[in-house]
Amino acid sequence: MAFKIKKGILYFLLVLLALTCMLPFALMMINATRTGADIVSGFTFIPGKALKENWDTVFDYFNLFKGIWNSVLVSVPATLLCAYFSTLTAYGLAFYEFKGNKVVFGAILAFMMIPGQLSLIGFYQLCTKLHLVNSYIPLIIPAIAAPGTVFFLRQYILSSLPKSLIEAARIDGASEIYSFHKIVTPIVAPAVATMGIMAFIGNWNSYLLPMILINKTDKMTLPVMMATLKASNHINSNQGAIYLSVAISIIPILLVFVAFSKYIISSVSAGAIKE
Amino acid sequence: MKKKKSKVTAYNNWGYAFVAPFVIVFCIFSIYPVLRTLYLSFTNLKVVGNADIIGFKNYARVLTDKFFWTALWNTVRIWIVNIVLQLGLAFLLMMVFSDVKYKMRGLAVFRIIYYLPNIIAATSIAFLFSTLLDWRYGTFNIIIKSIYDLFGAKYNPVNWIGSSATAGYTVAVIQSWMWFGNSFLMLMAGVQSINRDYFEAAAIDGAGRWTIFGKITLPLIKPIMMYVAITSLIGGLQMFDLPFLMIETASSAYGSVQTVMMYLYKFGFTTGTTQVGYASAVAYVLFLIILTVSVVELRLFRGKGDK
Amino acid sequence: MKIKKLLSVLLAGAMTLGLVACGGSDTGSKASTGSTSGESTEVTADGATATELDDKLVIWTLAQDLEQFAERYKEQTGVETEVVVIEPANYPTKVQTALVGGETEPDIIVGEPQMLGDMYDAGFFANLDEMGAKDYEGQIVDYVWEVGKDADGIQRAISYQITPAGIYYRRDIAKTVFGTDDPDEIGKLFKDYPTILETAKTLKAAGYRIFSSDSEINYFSGDSAWVIDGKLNVDEAREKYMDLVVDLYQGDLTAYANQWSTPWYQAMAGSVPILTAEIQNYEDDSVNVWDAESFEEATKDLERTEVFAFGLPAWGVLTMRDNVKETSGLWGVCAGPAYGFGGGTFIGISSNSERKETAWDFVKFCTLNEETADWWIEVSEGDTVSLVSALEKHANDENAVYGGEKLYAFWLEQAKGIDYSKVTQYDKAIDDAWGQAIGAIKTGEKDKATAINDFYDLIQSTYPDMVIER
Repeated sequence: MAFKIKKGILYFLLVLLALTCMLPFALMMINATRTGADIVSGFTFIPGKALKENWDTVFDYFNLFKGIWNSVLVSVPATLLCAYFSTLTAYGLAFYEFKGNKVVFGAILAFMMIPGQLSLIGFYQLCTKLHLVNSYIPLIIPAIAAPGTVFFLRQYILSSLPKSLIEAARIDGASEIYSFHKIVTPIVAPAVATMGIMAFIGNWNSYLLPMILINKTDKMTLPVMMATLKASNHINSNQGAIYLSVAISIIPILLVFVAFSKYIISSVSAGAIKE
Repeated sequence: MKKKKSKVTAYNNWGYAFVAPFVIVFCIFSIYPVLRTLYLSFTNLKVVGNADIIGFKNYARVLTDKFFWTALWNTVRIWIVNIVLQLGLAFLLMMVFSDVKYKMRGLAVFRIIYYLPNIIAATSIAFLFSTLLDWRYGTFNIIIKSIYDLFGAKYNPVNWIGSSATAGYTVAVIQSWMWFGNSFLMLMAGVQSINRDYFEAAAIDGAGRWTIFGKITLPLIKPIMMYVAITSLIGGLQMFDLPFLMIETASSAYGSVQTVMMYLYKFGFTTGTTQVGYASAVAYVLFLIILTVSVVELRLFRGKGDK
Repeated sequence: MKIKKLLSVLLAGAMTLGLVACGGSDTGSKASTGSTSGESTEVTADGATATELDDKLVIWTLAQDLEQFAERYKEQTGVETEVVVIEPANYPTKVQTALVGGETEPDIIVGEPQMLGDMYDAGFFANLDEMGAKDYEGQIVDYVWEVGKDADGIQRAISYQITPAGIYYRRDIAKTVFGTDDPDEIGKLFKDYPTILETAKTLKAAGYRIFSSDSEINYFSGDSAWVIDGKLNVDEAREKYMDLVVDLYQGDLTAYANQWSTPWYQAMAGSVPILTAEIQNYEDDSVNVWDAESFEEATKDLERTEVFAFGLPAWGVLTMRDNVKETSGLWGVCAGPAYGFGGGTFIGISSNSERKETAWDFVKFCTLNEETADWWIEVSEGDTVSLVSALEKHANDENAVYGGEKLYAFWLEQAKGIDYSKVTQYDKAIDDAWGQAIGAIKTGEKDKATAINDFYDLIQSTYPDMVIER
């Protein structure tokens, strides 16, 4: 009996913690349907009737769906490039002995510790020299060189891909490129998927770099568009509209999370064990 | 024999091809900007135009500026509160879910919910919380006040993000709210990687669950706790988005929440205070601090590996 | 050994990069072919025939106002306009990075007074005198014309607005509490800091709050510039302002909203909730917090309150326009304790622009064109233009939100008292630091001496070259 009560209390606490995780989002959803005046005068769990009004205020100011679409245009190619080229690089570093292999690996280790903002000024100067401002290229192409992902995949390949497999393929006359695509890729796919989903979330949430590089309204990614909330007196005078904007902005990533939570969970877990 | 060796070399030459795209992009978009910043850190460049090389003056200024050290202390202080909460909570959860007696269920669901706050963009989180936590008109204080009213007590509203006494802790708590699920997942992964035979063998030997926890789980989980704490410190030293977007620059709380990254932003990108050369030096000092932490980390784990 | 290798790779990388960068700059330069639009000669707003307008202008601005200007410009001239609104916090960074990088767009850039100094120094704005700005001297309100000049007296930017500050107050509350709603009489209640404090106490006693935030007199603070000849200057008025803010706050005399925060706006539309007195401390024990009934009774009148006044520049008319809702018509505007001004969008041409003639045409259209000024006064429902002829023409316009008060005459009068030389590029950082000090004192975190000392330290850290005498 005491055992059951204790267990019950534990479950209760776990659920309470789960609620704490979701409460801010619940408050957000409810407040998104209420008028600014209602929100400051008190709280209730009953949704209000101002959703339409808030919606109009928000979309009068900016088109969040355009921002979401732009974020897709940046995040998806960046993620695919990151996944493909990181695997390629990791495989190259893990299985081939060539001059400079160790140097490249050393540079990767070093750059994993470098704060991103260290290169911000130089990065922008470079982009303008190459006429890449307002282009998605500087947001997408650098994904080819993701030191963290390469590092992780290299370790994974070393531990899970037997050398004999590749050697056997060579004896059969398979080309190196063929081996990579037909033998290596399927084996490392789960690891790539987990890294890929994290890369996607990182790209999706990225704020500082797109904020500096993208100036055209119709090219702004979601977080950049969200930050322009501060520029609007119109929307700021209504808390309900702010809540609604935040709510709309997090829906896509929530969907991704629901669909890929398995990979996300295993990615985080993998980080712990691999170390 | 000779032929075979050259063939292996030929195979190995493919390595260049495989690594080439990475190296090219890496040189352009990572190495060049970082070197450019290094160069700038030795100049007195303010906004644009010509700059003179001034040696280590910028570095001397960083190291002697008390506001830099305050910023570093703020960063570390916020990080400590955050990590204690985050790791403590994760640890408790790990204990609950790995307990051999209670055999709690629902891990699959709970861990997803606990991880949820971690995937939301910091811009959205910052807007959400600064609106919810507004001193007078935020929903949080309104709810607390109505609870107090229920008991006829008087609630003195707390200025969560506007007072220097609470702002740092508020940011820290939000930070740990975002990250405890992540730590929990890592600890849980550690527990699950422990061979089940250990537990069974121990159970057969008649070991109690506390003994099992203390003798098997804890020692095996320790390195992971260290790893979580240290990676979190490296990330924590770069803390920027949340405090930057939540605390207003003219607020008296600003001085107590300004992180190193915000200090850098002030000189790197803010009108009126832009001193690019100096900001570059700040970036490098921060980098050296992070490097030190990382080296310590590597030492610790190398040590573990040798045992 | 390893380090040597690493270094050599880094160097090699940098060299490769140099090559790439050089190659890049040869190619991508955009061909700006002037494919003139179908309608051959367009009449510009000036009435003059446009020589040859480019087909497009890219405009980066801080507020949405310029979108409307651009729309109208497009209608009249056929020039495509692309307007990008960027929040003030990021604006300078963006312009800086774009221009330093040699971007030829945007063509039109803007700035607020405190940003302009840096932007002039950095050479972002093209020389308007070369375009013929001198011909228009005297047509724009003096202080605006002066703010638009760089240190060498060259015209770089012009604003279509004037932004003198005033006190916006509720006429209905004024009548109830002071028995009059006459702007001159109410102005006397705000004539200096001690009087404002008295006014605040009177209002509180009557169940109102004088201000929504305690930053409302910020626009009127300080007798002289923060920095004079590279030396930090904290004049007496700054400290008096500090004392006033502390008194307002500690005396529970405002509604405690942050300026520009949502509740601050909401106070414009009517009542806002106010929690009970003795918020800052428990000293006031007249309210029995333990007895629900008497507590209820004692706090009944204070639960919600109405805010009496806002201190805002002339463009506050637009903010009020969007937020007053049911209180429209109940407002008035009077002079504050000093002449002050705040903000104002100054329009100029990017020095990198390849469409300077068209850009200059646009600048003239926005700032020097009486027809545009008339139109803007109408559509903005009361923004204050900088074109003297338009201001004089509209001097007798009555504004309904303000009970028919003749605002243009008032603003023009206020603008005459403005001392533009008070603005420096250091203002934002120093204002923030001073604000931090005030905040620390009012909430009791620091005593005055410590807070001011910390303020000096912070300025020294931010501007190591500045001379600071404590």
